[in-house]
Amino acid sequence: MIRTRKLWITALLLWSLAPLLWQVYTSFCSNESLLHTLTDHQSRWTLENYRQVLTANPPFWRYLLNSALVGITSTGLTLLIAIPAAYSLVKVPRNVARGAKLFLLGAALFPYVLLFLALLELARNLNLGNNLLALSFPYTALSMPLAVLLLSSAFRDLPSELEEAARVEGLGLWQRLRWVLIPLIAPATASTAILVFLFSWNEYPIALTWISSADLLTLPVAIARIAGSSVYSIPYGAYAAATVLGALPLLLLVIIFQRQIVSGLTQGAIKG
Amino acid sequence: MIQLLLLPAALLIALVFGIPLIRYCWLSVHANSVVTGLVAIPNHGANWLRLFNDERFWQDSAQTARFAFVSVSLELLLALAIALLLDQRWRGRGVVRAITLLPWALPTTVMALGWRWIFNTPYGPIEQLAVLFRLPPLNILSNPDITWLATVVGDVWKTTPFVALILLAGLQTIPNDLYEAFYLEGGNPRAAFFKVTLPLLQPYLLLGLLFRLAQAFGVFDLIQVMTGGGPASSTESLALYAYLNAMRFLDFGYSATVMIGSFLLLVFICLFSWLVIYQTRHLRGVFK
Amino acid sequence: MNRRTGWGLALFLVLTSLAVLTSWALSLRPIRINVLMPASFADQTTELVRKFNADHTGKINLRVTRGPLETEAVSDLAISSLLLGKSPFDALLIDVTWLPKYAAAGWLAPLDPWIDQQAIDSLAPGAQLGNSYKDQIYRWPLVADMGLLYWRTDLMKEPPKTPQELLEISQRIQQEGRVPYGYVWQGRQYEGLSCVFLEVLDGFGGKWLTPGTDIVGLNSPASQKAASWLRKLISSGVSPKAVINYAENETLQLFKSGDAALMRNWPYAWGEVQKTNSPIKGKVGVTTMVAAPGHKSTATLGSWGFSILKGSSNPDAAAEVIAFLTSTYAQKQLFLKNSYTPTKAELFNDPELLAKSTILPILAEALQSTEQRPQTPLYAQISDVLQRQLSSILTGKSNVNTAMDRAQRNTEQILLAAGET
Repeated sequence: MIRTRKLWITALLLWSLAPLLWQVYTSFCSNESLLHTLTDHQSRWTLENYRQVLTANPPFWRYLLNSALVGITSTGLTLLIAIPAAYSLVKVPRNVARGAKLFLLGAALFPYVLLFLALLELARNLNLGNNLLALSFPYTALSMPLAVLLLSSAFRDLPSELEEAARVEGLGLWQRLRWVLIPLIAPATASTAILVFLFSWNEYPIALTWISSADLLTLPVAIARIAGSSVYSIPYGAYAAATVLGALPLLLLVIIFQRQIVSGLTQGAIKG
Repeated sequence: MIQLLLLPAALLIALVFGIPLIRYCWLSVHANSVVTGLVAIPNHGANWLRLFNDERFWQDSAQTARFAFVSVSLELLLALAIALLLDQRWRGRGVVRAITLLPWALPTTVMALGWRWIFNTPYGPIEQLAVLFRLPPLNILSNPDITWLATVVGDVWKTTPFVALILLAGLQTIPNDLYEAFYLEGGNPRAAFFKVTLPLLQPYLLLGLLFRLAQAFGVFDLIQVMTGGGPASSTESLALYAYLNAMRFLDFGYSATVMIGSFLLLVFICLFSWLVIYQTRHLRGVFK
Repeated sequence: MNRRTGWGLALFLVLTSLAVLTSWALSLRPIRINVLMPASFADQTTELVRKFNADHTGKINLRVTRGPLETEAVSDLAISSLLLGKSPFDALLIDVTWLPKYAAAGWLAPLDPWIDQQAIDSLAPGAQLGNSYKDQIYRWPLVADMGLLYWRTDLMKEPPKTPQELLEISQRIQQEGRVPYGYVWQGRQYEGLSCVFLEVLDGFGGKWLTPGTDIVGLNSPASQKAASWLRKLISSGVSPKAVINYAENETLQLFKSGDAALMRNWPYAWGEVQKTNSPIKGKVGVTTMVAAPGHKSTATLGSWGFSILKGSSNPDAAAEVIAFLTSTYAQKQLFLKNSYTPTKAELFNDPELLAKSTILPILAEALQSTEQRPQTPLYAQISDVLQRQLSSILTGKSNVNTAMDRAQRNTEQILLAAGET
């Protein structure tokens, strides 16, 4: 029993990590050694790929920064709007709430990539193109359904006596939210925030159509853009270095917050 | 007063989900392309007629559906195994859980590029393994019959952790007493899985299925970066076709038609899957 | 109240003086011109750009945006920036097939204010094609490009002239066991296949799309002969089965390794096969594509040129940039360093260039017989239809008649759908 479990765990780790490890390996290999299997040790290992990616114009960390900026603003904006909405969803009549939740679930399920054309027109008409902060607007809207669902189920799980007691104490709506309710749903807020951040960090089709200036590209688009292969050589070493650098921040994020991610989905996703 | 707090969220959702859908419906009955100078002119359903006669649209529909069904089924199976594994208690579970989550957290495009290299002919590791086993070159990314399987691998690798998380959530809602009671009555673990775990997990499986089916049906990032829809359009998805119509062919009227067409197909497929599941459950009840 | 007015006045004064100062500073600053080019062009023009900026210090500052490496990805980038409204670019380097689409969309500024008849006459004949849409000139060529037939001088005395000869010569050399393959070309389902087909189609006397009309000639006898011939190349073993997945690069790799007697490719391949590490250096000749007896041999025109965007705020400066980058001086540099085919007629007789390269006269000759792909804003769609059906023929999925009929029908549908509007 224990033996087979170990086997399964090994298989799972291999499946999850092998493609990434291959990228890491490739990123430290010189291009020649990738193309000709028999190369001596000396010319095999290199940091050249990283140097190339980090000194390109614009340098790679720029994209990481752009993505981080969009991710942070979208997450903040989403929470700002979703928390009050989720709270009020608990307070409205039951049938209204149910209708709203079904609607939100539908929106959360919707393959949002189909929206890109209309959103592109929107960006043109409102002059939002090539603006990193403006990207948070569609990102906030697209994360809204899931965020409201997750947070409202967290609000509902709070015992109603708590808020009642606060009301008796004479706290107004904002004070109750600020001092009693929001601190209590902090775990759910944290996991929602991570989900929204991951979504904004990884989003591709809208960033692809809203941003055309090279300095403002977010990470997924920048990666996709270097994917166009050259006529003369196959710069896979540099690609691999880019993928490794692009994966590192998320690796950290997942390691630090894995408990929140798991509990967030386990607590709220479905009850909502 | 309190309903007012819903307003900003509702407005945002209406703006970003509602307006585009209305706009698409309107565009789909207009010619708006490079030929009209990017101006909309009513064309009395010509777009829809073209959609029904468009071999490429139907081929892409079949390809997208094939991709979605195969990858979602694989994901559900794998995710169930992973969730069962992660639900047990053992040392180092936290670390393994974090590592399992990693593929899901990475941007799709990052690993799409990685897969392109992994499946590269002749330098990628898969081809080198093939050489090791004295197989002929596989040409994974240039053989129209098998390239789609490579995209399925990429999708399964990336999204299985997400489904596993949902199922893990479901597993954790099943109280332990149920199993204890089941074992007291003389059940074995195998029977417990089929009699207790699976039935109680059903809503979660259904949710995972719907969620993933909808997402897989709209697959775009992975395909665009990994294969660009090729070779010979054998991996082109509906979303990519709609994208090409708008961004490459500059035919917005038709692109909108393709998008509504795919959306209707998706709704149809979701309803159909739901009905099938509902029916089988119903039938099972009859035979019991 | 009074105090507030005072503050308002002060603020107003500060803002105005700031505005005046900035506009003064801006007027002193050089005009910035941003040009989008595919990565390879951007890399190879860096020296010219540096020289231009040195010559125009304080007046014009030229910045080249290095686009993606893949042609289609460059177009996607340009189009998305244009669709967004305010494009960051003043000028684009565009492919010959994009021109009608971009012009019809109303994105390009006509170049007539800067281009006169004399300038047009100075271009080599083939380079004059593909620069205008509806009799307006929208593009100025940087480099000429056309399909060529490369042949091995050590394997045959004369290159084949007709499709039949090509088959026979290849088979003979293959039977003698001197090379594994006869002829390699671009058979992957992508734009290159359309270019290959156009040359063969013309060689059999057919027409893809009659200019100025909606008459499609894809199921004509000539077209069926052309498709059958391509299929036969594969089925007879003259071309390796793998050509159905070959683009330019793979084709060149195989030919360069010495494993094929003939290759269809663009002029850039010449520089590659003449490199010192090339095993076939000095054993390669270049000519134009084969044609059936009684028909003209043609070369598909594929060239890159500059267009000015309508939204550019400094079209005059952009025109100056383009004039420099396409000047005789620049073209000479680009030819000597990167073997970019010049577009100016005089350069084909330039002793310095002729001394460096033996291929120039052949390029000049090929430029005389270039043929354009259909010039319609719908080109991307109809080319896609053709590639699809050709690919299904080459892979043996459908027979020639059915597939070409379908190509014909689908093309007509696309043209019809556009015409109805």
